[in-house]
Amino acid sequence: MKNILKISIALAFLFTLSSCWLDKTKPNYQYMPDMYKPVGYETYSVNPNFSDGRTSQQPVEGTIARGKVPYDYADTTEGYDSALVNLKNPLEVNEENLANGKAMFTIYCISCHGAAGVGDGELVKRDKFLGVPNYKDRPITEGSIYHVIMYGRNLMGSHASQLTDKERWQVVMYVQQLRNELLK
Amino acid sequence: MSSHYEAPIRRPLIIGDKNYHDISVDVAAPVEGKANKLWWIAFSIALTAFLWGIGCIVYTIGTGIGVWGLNKTVGWAWDITNFVWWVGIGHAGTLISAVLLLFRQKWRMGINRSAEAMTIFSVIQAGLFPVIHMGRVWNAHFVLPLPNQFGTLWTNFNSPLLWDVFAISTYLSVSLVFWWTGLLPDFAMLRDRAIRPFQKKIYGLLSFGWTGRAKDWQRFEEVSLVLAGLATPLVLSVHTIVSFDFATSVIPGWHTTIFPPYFVAGAVFSGFAMVNTLLIIMRKVSNLEAYITKQHIELMNIVIMITGSIVGCAYITELFIAWYSGVEYEQYAFLNRATGPYWWAYLFMMSCNVFSPQFMWFKRLRTSITFSFIISIVVNIGMWFERFVIIVTSLHRDYLPSSWTMFSPTFVDIGIFIGTIGFFFVLFLLYARTFPVIAQAEVKSILKASGEKYKKLRDGNHE
Repeated sequence: MKNILKISIALAFLFTLSSCWLDKTKPNYQYMPDMYKPVGYETYSVNPNFSDGRTSQQPVEGTIARGKVPYDYADTTEGYDSALVNLKNPLEVNEENLANGKAMFTIYCISCHGAAGVGDGELVKRDKFLGVPNYKDRPITEGSIYHVIMYGRNLMGSHASQLTDKERWQVVMYVQQLRNELLK
Repeated sequence: MSSHYEAPIRRPLIIGDKNYHDISVDVAAPVEGKANKLWWIAFSIALTAFLWGIGCIVYTIGTGIGVWGLNKTVGWAWDITNFVWWVGIGHAGTLISAVLLLFRQKWRMGINRSAEAMTIFSVIQAGLFPVIHMGRVWNAHFVLPLPNQFGTLWTNFNSPLLWDVFAISTYLSVSLVFWWTGLLPDFAMLRDRAIRPFQKKIYGLLSFGWTGRAKDWQRFEEVSLVLAGLATPLVLSVHTIVSFDFATSVIPGWHTTIFPPYFVAGAVFSGFAMVNTLLIIMRKVSNLEAYITKQHIELMNIVIMITGSIVGCAYITELFIAWYSGVEYEQYAFLNRATGPYWWAYLFMMSCNVFSPQFMWFKRLRTSITFSFIISIVVNIGMWFERFVIIVTSLHRDYLPSSWTMFSPTFVDIGIFIGTIGFFFVLFLLYARTFPVIAQAEVKSILKASGEKYKKLRDGNHE
């Protein structure tokens, strides 16, 4: 009898140590969630006030945010050709820009274009898709590289949302360096 | 009785031709008898007030502190006033049972049980206020330094409000243990007298198997003395810590070094007044006039007079220091008390606390039961106003005139206070019907020294 009492006290104690989280597919219980949920709308939260149900709404067409410069070349063959000739890198070629360009290249470009830019990225090696060109095979300039990052070209999509203006130019700088290596 | 010497000047503490059995019968009578109509009426009123108070508490917690009359300037008012008032009342019980034990005051034996009960019941009332005045009661456990998952986030031990937590909880637990230890022989008496099996079982459980052997009594006495020695510094420190809530602040009118002893004196003052209020009624309704004699009332009145005079001295000291300090904020705080919008509260406090205890210098007044009863109530009203005046008048006008404001309580403030009074009397009335309200074991120990019959016999021998 006394043993049963002791065992049940021990079990009750152990039970209090265990969590109440039985269904791991759902969030756990909360104790008095006073300020757990935001009163305001957080950026990516669902918003019932808008027809598309999103808090992050598109800005009005044609508006320019402070510190941003619009890209004036059109997403057409003419635009490409114009950028190829006229668009110039505003950044100074230095270690810092190249280093960040390399870092960004390693994140966003390497999976298809490969570390050296010869078109042998991991996805190409695994035959996920083919047709990634070598940088040295095409007549590209800093303007055209930037244009392609902005809009994409053929199979490649736009990378404008991943990279800021400055980062794009740093990547351009690094791609040019890779191309010069390949052309040697 | 030739071996015993007691000064013939001492008056008997037990009136009438009582023997040991009579004491048992008299103490057990309210417990063994049935409650009369008056008790039920009183209990119903107290219970109604208590339930109303619970309603107000639930409303406060459910809706928010905004239902009280507090504002951004006056963040403490009735809540802390009532807290300090109840804690203060509780202090008399420990003073009677501990300090008077250390001073070997035999007259405490007739009153200590009820005084301790009063302590415990009023500390319970006091303990409600620090909890319910929190904005988020459900996080109240954060005041305890417990290991947790916030990287073991701990409390800051620099706040007197945290010291309050330790002070009040220690005070309640020590008082409870002290009280219960004293109750063991009395519960054993009730157990042995009980006829109904249910009562016998209950008092058997409550008395922890007390058999009253010599060894038990020896240890009982030692424990009582040790607990009295512990409770005495405790009773002084608890109200000191409560006074630190104010004294450690920077508010003019609060920042004073006199507060610790002055609050303790005020606590003893109001506590004894409450004991007087309760015992004057209890001796009548429970037929305990032989044990709670006029002399007991008179001695308590003398304590009230002394502590009331100490409080009066403190008031004068505060006023003197305010003038002497040359600090215009301090001077204004006291000017505001006397002539500001709460002048009536200050007047109430002064007249109830400073003047009323001075009546006790007159023997005719201090030995009058009716007068003592009235004064005891007046004192408690005055002491309530003392806390109110200290808290509210210091807060509502302080450094920046742009933040000067007024305070007026809402019905919820008042309702909770009434509720705690109701709760106190619910507990006290239940206690008076089920507990031995006089420490019969202790009273029996002074029967032959201070009983009227034995005193007469002894004094007769001398003639």
